[in-house]
Amino acid sequence: MGDRDWLRAQWHAVADRVSDPRLTIAGRELRVLGREKTIILAVVIQLFVAAFSGFLVVGLVSLYDPGSVDGYQIDAAVTGDATDEMLAAIEERPAIEGTRYATTSEAYADFQDNAVNAVFQTTRSDGRIEVVMTAPEGSIETTLVVSEGQEALRALERNLRTERAASLSNPPLALPPDTGGNPYYDFTYTILLPLLVFLPVFISGSITVDSLTAESEQGTLELLRVAPVTMVDIVDGKSAAMIAIAPLQAVAWLGLLSLNGVAIANVGWLAALVTAVTAIVVALSVAVSLLAPDRRSAQLLFSVAVLLFFAGATLLPGGPANTAARLAIDSATLSTRLAVLVYGIVGVAAVGAVRRLATRINPNRL
Amino acid sequence: MTRVDRLRTRLATAGRRLRRIARIARWELGQSTSSYNRRTLAVIAVLVVVVASVGTSAVALGVASPSPNTDIYRVGVADNSPYTAVIDDHASLTARPPDRTALATGEIDLLIGGVRQPTAGPGPRSPTLLVEPADGEKGDAALTAFRSAVQSYNDRAMALEPNRTAAYPVVVELQYIPQSTLGPAAPTNAGNLTGDDTPGDDADSDDGTDTDANDTDTNGTAGNVDGGPASGSGDNTTATDNTDSDAPPVADGGGGSLLDRALFGGGTSGSPAEIQPPFPFGSLLLAFLFLVPMNFVIQSYGSSVLNERISRRGELLLVAPVERLDIVAGKTLPYAAIAVATTAIIAAAIGGSLLSVAAVVPIAMTFLAATFLGAMFARSFKELTFVTITITVFLTSYVFIPSIFTNVTPIALISPLTLVVMELQGEAVTLGSYLFSTGPFYTSTAVLFLLGTGVYREEDMFSQKPVPLKFLDALDARLSGIRSVGVLTALFLPFVFIAELLAIAVLFVLPIEVSIPLILVVIAAVEEVAKSVHVFAGFESDRFDRSVRTALLLGIASGIGFFVAEKFTVVAQLVGLPNLQLGEAALQPAGIGITPSTSLLLLAGPLVLHTVTTGVAALGARKNLWWYLVSLVAATVIHAAYNFGVVTLYG
Repeated sequence: MGDRDWLRAQWHAVADRVSDPRLTIAGRELRVLGREKTIILAVVIQLFVAAFSGFLVVGLVSLYDPGSVDGYQIDAAVTGDATDEMLAAIEERPAIEGTRYATTSEAYADFQDNAVNAVFQTTRSDGRIEVVMTAPEGSIETTLVVSEGQEALRALERNLRTERAASLSNPPLALPPDTGGNPYYDFTYTILLPLLVFLPVFISGSITVDSLTAESEQGTLELLRVAPVTMVDIVDGKSAAMIAIAPLQAVAWLGLLSLNGVAIANVGWLAALVTAVTAIVVALSVAVSLLAPDRRSAQLLFSVAVLLFFAGATLLPGGPANTAARLAIDSATLSTRLAVLVYGIVGVAAVGAVRRLATRINPNRL
Repeated sequence: MTRVDRLRTRLATAGRRLRRIARIARWELGQSTSSYNRRTLAVIAVLVVVVASVGTSAVALGVASPSPNTDIYRVGVADNSPYTAVIDDHASLTARPPDRTALATGEIDLLIGGVRQPTAGPGPRSPTLLVEPADGEKGDAALTAFRSAVQSYNDRAMALEPNRTAAYPVVVELQYIPQSTLGPAAPTNAGNLTGDDTPGDDADSDDGTDTDANDTDTNGTAGNVDGGPASGSGDNTTATDNTDSDAPPVADGGGGSLLDRALFGGGTSGSPAEIQPPFPFGSLLLAFLFLVPMNFVIQSYGSSVLNERISRRGELLLVAPVERLDIVAGKTLPYAAIAVATTAIIAAAIGGSLLSVAAVVPIAMTFLAATFLGAMFARSFKELTFVTITITVFLTSYVFIPSIFTNVTPIALISPLTLVVMELQGEAVTLGSYLFSTGPFYTSTAVLFLLGTGVYREEDMFSQKPVPLKFLDALDARLSGIRSVGVLTALFLPFVFIAELLAIAVLFVLPIEVSIPLILVVIAAVEEVAKSVHVFAGFESDRFDRSVRTALLLGIASGIGFFVAEKFTVVAQLVGLPNLQLGEAALQPAGIGITPSTSLLLLAGPLVLHTVTTGVAALGARKNLWWYLVSLVAATVIHAAYNFGVVTLYG
């Protein structure tokens, strides 16, 4: 018994020596988050976003890109006096199969019977080919039929332009072949990834505002007079906890994306970028909560400021979303890495400025 | 005489209540405006001005890169190649020196080679550019992006050509005709199309000033040329002129503003580049505008409600001689008014009519109702922030993402925002589809407020409990006897409906063999939870004795409530969702898709099923959480098996 007490006393002594009020505050902050299960809620939100975005990507791709729908074949009826040209153009598109119809009414009858998915009715008139393209209305295939039919028509247009190149002052440039690459490949990197990576940043800032304003509104900051911690310690502790959790969530998302087969490059750089941006946003939220008169104003100011920060930063070259996308898709250049460095410097400067602000604030007046 | 008197008293009472509500609303408004003082608003104004000026100067100086996909694909191209201009014009492409080793090491994603002329035999009849993409998906995607960049570059070059016939040798008219499933519907338009298909007339009547709405970023240049001696056949029609005989009844007037035409292309005639697959990008963007201000409104509303609880000021209100419902109504009124006003302003600004307002208001009300309940459950402002973010994310995705598929599938109608998109595109909206998409929102608003008002009492407002326990309390507050269990189950139906439609929307992209069994299980689980969670709440709060008999009685009451309410989902038939295979799978087990000729047994089937499965769940719920979960799984399995049987028998 005595041994255990002695051990405990020793442990406390060691802990006291190592401990720092700032670490204590940071630890408490994180424990409260865990107890209120708010972090779980945050992760659930992000999971929801990811699931819905996945649905969006898969949906868009299967709707607009026939290549992704295995073995899907559009049968088209071609009629009229320019049938030969149209059929030749359709031949260039593997996803469409053209059939010659002698009369228009036969073609439409087959369309009505679902025997063909599209009708191209061609007419020659003063040097042009007029095509009436018919697609099914209100069907899941509509978009597919229209976009694929449009490609065939563009092929027809290209062929005719080539024939008439002599009458054009600038003949069109030759097109590369269509290999059916995914036109939404960049969606994951340029929209989904920045969304997932920067949502934790926003959440961290928002919690900081709540946490600081709750202290001042409940009057607990007055206890600072007797406690051996300063306002700067409190700001430090709370900011450190919030800056720490954002990159952790972001990296977890990157891991999840890689598990789903999305190759992510430069994970270290991405984590650094998220940390830097979180530092800026958390510094912003600390400043707002120290300066705003109450919680509601602080939250409003913070929301507006963050929205403007991201909007403004996106307009500048090397905006956070574009920087994250270029790092992740492995198209980063020296300037991309320099942008990360700039964010880091701004972040450090912002945290420093906020700490100076905190020393000047009288906690009793908050 | 007495009847008149009674009426007068009732009117007087109603008047008094309304005055009371108005007083609370005024008080609430005064409180919030004083909290957003002038300094806060001034700071916000300064921030907006600073960012706007930085942004505009960045745009003016030409250093702005608003596109998030700037320079993500690197293309190896020689400096003197004509394709350098193509790459410079396209945001997502960036030019690099052509180097084959760079392609192998992944320094570049695409290498541009020479041009192959067309050969006499089979194959393309126009020249092809030879390219080498890097291995992997990224190289292919880069090639696709590059190909579309070349295409739009050519489109812009052609717009400058003096010889219009050579530049635009093909004129397309796109029409949509329903493929009938009930026998041919006489293709009357087949004949007259050639007759009155005179794109030239259309083109001249509205001298469209932008040729390309979808993929050119410099459509200004194209516009300048169009005024020239265009020989007048369809070189510039992007306005949606649904002149076909099968066009929707309400046509989008071609005389819209330039912005309208740029955003709402959806071109149905013109050169092949101008027709567009039905993707309502512009309308979607505008519809999204409606959702932005709601986030600010609910943030403010949520903190006001929670502040009442944390500062215990609500106590004073509770002891005042005012009804709880009046307090809640009074507190909500200013925020609802702000939401309606902003919606109306936005609608007026983007050219939506009363229908847009009528479609968005239920969304706004659901935002408020969910926030109210969240603020009643949250223990701290931090928790409230998460609750608010959850509500925002969930509702925004629920209403926004389905509306992307507005022109593609009827599932899109689960979101009222689809109605806005349809209206902005000039499509007619039927009363049935309005009810279908907004009905769940109206009813869920009512139910959420009802649940929230139930816990608007001292013992719940000022106590600290985890959110799930508060939720059970809120359910329990609505229970009184066995009959109330059935009523509450019926009230849950809008949420069941929302959850099921959401599941359909998420799962419909999967192949049908996977999605149908999956959806049957999901639906069974959702319904079982909705039927039994309040029974569990009642047992947990010792409202009901934990005997087997009570559990079975409660199960029967809940099952009957669900069965009766489910019959109202017939409205789904009005919009033709059951035509969709997946919708059939979801709705048929409810006995909706079944014709009257089927036997009574089938109509009684759902009733028996719902009472039996809820009875099973209730038997577990009377013990504890673990038993409840186990019995819930069992009930779900029974339910899913039944659904599967019905679908395979009659599917």
